[in-house]
Amino acid sequence: MRKSALLAAVLFLLVALVPLAGDAYWLRLGTTMLMYGVIAMAWNFIGGLAGYPSFASAAFFGLGAYAGAVAQKLGVPMGLAWTLAGALSLAFAALLGLALLRLRGHYFAIASLVVAEVLRELVNSATDLTGGGMGLNLPVPHDATVASQSEFFFYAMLALAAITFAAMLWATHSKLGFGLRCIQQNESAADMLGVNTTLYKVAAFMLSGAFAGAAGAIYASWVHYIEPPDVFDVLYSVKAIVMVLLGGAGSVFGPLFGAAIFLSLEELVWRNYLQVHTGVLGLMIVLLVLFLPKGVFSLRLPWRKGKP
Amino acid sequence: MTSILPRRALAAIAMLACGAVAALPGTSMAQGTIRIGAPLPITGPLSPEAKKLQNGMNLWVETANKAGGIKVGAKKMKVEIVYVDYQSNTPRAVQATEKLITQDKVDFLFSPFGSGAAKAASSVSEKYEMPTIAATASSEQVYDQGYKYLFGVYTPNQTLTEPLADLVKKQAGGVQRVAILARNDLFPLAIAQEMEKSAKKRGMNVLYFEKYAIGTLDHASALSQIKAVAPHWIFATGYINDLILIKKQMSDLGIEAPVVTMVAGPAYKEFVSALGKSAENVTSAAWWHPAVRYTSKDVFGSTENFNKMFHAKYGTEPDYGEASSAVSGVVLQLAIEAAGTLDKKAVRDALAKMNTMTFFGPIKFGPTGQVVSLDPPVFQVQKGRQVVILPAGIKQGDLQLGVK
Repeated sequence: MRKSALLAAVLFLLVALVPLAGDAYWLRLGTTMLMYGVIAMAWNFIGGLAGYPSFASAAFFGLGAYAGAVAQKLGVPMGLAWTLAGALSLAFAALLGLALLRLRGHYFAIASLVVAEVLRELVNSATDLTGGGMGLNLPVPHDATVASQSEFFFYAMLALAAITFAAMLWATHSKLGFGLRCIQQNESAADMLGVNTTLYKVAAFMLSGAFAGAAGAIYASWVHYIEPPDVFDVLYSVKAIVMVLLGGAGSVFGPLFGAAIFLSLEELVWRNYLQVHTGVLGLMIVLLVLFLPKGVFSLRLPWRKGKP
Repeated sequence: MTSILPRRALAAIAMLACGAVAALPGTSMAQGTIRIGAPLPITGPLSPEAKKLQNGMNLWVETANKAGGIKVGAKKMKVEIVYVDYQSNTPRAVQATEKLITQDKVDFLFSPFGSGAAKAASSVSEKYEMPTIAATASSEQVYDQGYKYLFGVYTPNQTLTEPLADLVKKQAGGVQRVAILARNDLFPLAIAQEMEKSAKKRGMNVLYFEKYAIGTLDHASALSQIKAVAPHWIFATGYINDLILIKKQMSDLGIEAPVVTMVAGPAYKEFVSALGKSAENVTSAAWWHPAVRYTSKDVFGSTENFNKMFHAKYGTEPDYGEASSAVSGVVLQLAIEAAGTLDKKAVRDALAKMNTMTFFGPIKFGPTGQVVSLDPPVFQVQKGRQVVILPAGIKQGDLQLGVK
């Protein structure tokens, strides 16, 4: 654990140097990558550790985005709005978890998938509060230059990623992580051995919700404009899973590396194929998951053969 | 037989190959070409709109290049549009805008589709002082940020509802009871809210205001409620498929009213052909209509000629989206020619000073950058064709009452 923490600290410090490169476009990509990393790590609590195929990432992300945006619209300062959004997502995940985590496997996956749809419709119809289908504009700070703003949101996302990573590291090595891994291997057996499975699962789901929600809130402040189809996009749920699979499910660094690889592929394909980029990206992911089922860490190149 | 390379290494090589192909340069940079960046929702739910915008922009590029290109000072330069797909996703539109400016190094920009994305992207283009033309952003909130480099060719939403409400008030004094049914989507809901304001301002009672979800396939319950309040004026918003369905179900339920207005579907030929007689006397408004007639000194020469060239290339009549994207190019061309240079600040100043006639209508931008010189036409389906009834200068007929 200490080794991982040290490695992570070095990694985050290195990433913190990105703004020195100076290019606004790279800064934007960096912020997106960190956001993806947070969403992937958040999914890892419930999906990677407990083995529950959650598709609720989009629901938490969207809820957090709207909670943060509405709070700011009502005059709550930005940092507090983000915290509130995270707390609301946490509470929502607790209630949702108590209801949904009774289901297993496909049933849980489907149930968690529709949550985002339900929330989207709710947000859509609450026009007075959320602007409905017209979207919601956030106040643009006029006193800050655009460059300093993009740096600010980069560091905000970096801080959130570091906190999420710390929480995940702690969870993995604590009793919670042990219990969750037991649940993943055999839930009934874990239950019989005295693991409070409901409590553990709900706790994992709450952590998942809180961090994804906070990421949504920072995102909303960052882009200044959100609308329901953008933040409740089911692709956030799918991308979270794909990124963790790419990086290696259940491992501590997996989600972060998965996010970096995914974003690089996405960017590379997107800027080179105008019409078919989604198809090409899909194909690459299918290839990766087929041949590297445990993520890039399972890649053993010929010249490394024989080495441990 | 065992393979020489292990499976995983093979996969890695396949991935690298994919990546290498992808890394090949996608766009060529020809010398002496003006490059304009256009982030468009080429994939995703808004892709039909992107197709329309591309139709208009491509027609303009083709026409301008056929005439030798854009005159910059003494020489003529060809023009090229660099398209980037933003997957109908606003954050990606912002990212695409930044990529076009910093990586593709385009000379000028067109905004992404719609008010929301145009507003989000404008903060980036403003930072780089990049003259940007918004073809499809009508909401005033897009332009009230004090930005200097954003120009839009759509007048605010209320310029569609205000003249219509005036006309109805004047010619059908008995119209008091209004029912509004709106699609829960950026523009359709915004224009419905403007309609509510316009109606209330004239002392009409808005007895019903409901939203329906995107993708609704049955409006019977909403329409029954509308029937119950016996409105004089039914105002429904949405896109063509929604509005055809709503009008069909209105006929099924026997809902009749002196005035029925639908935005934005009756502008299309498909609306009339799908509904036949029941489309009769439905009114609508749009920022532009192929029936308007302007003579101009731009590459198209006149509205009629634009319609003809559009029809020759695509086999259909242009609608307001296609025309506004073409006029975005025209406006930029006129500004470059007036400035006589590609210098961004000079072109920006030329845009701000512009007062000219195009096939789209007269173009003059207000202090916020939004066009102020256009009178959006109001039209009505009469005897199976769209007849312009406002503004007075180009009208082809008068408002008829009674929609069955």
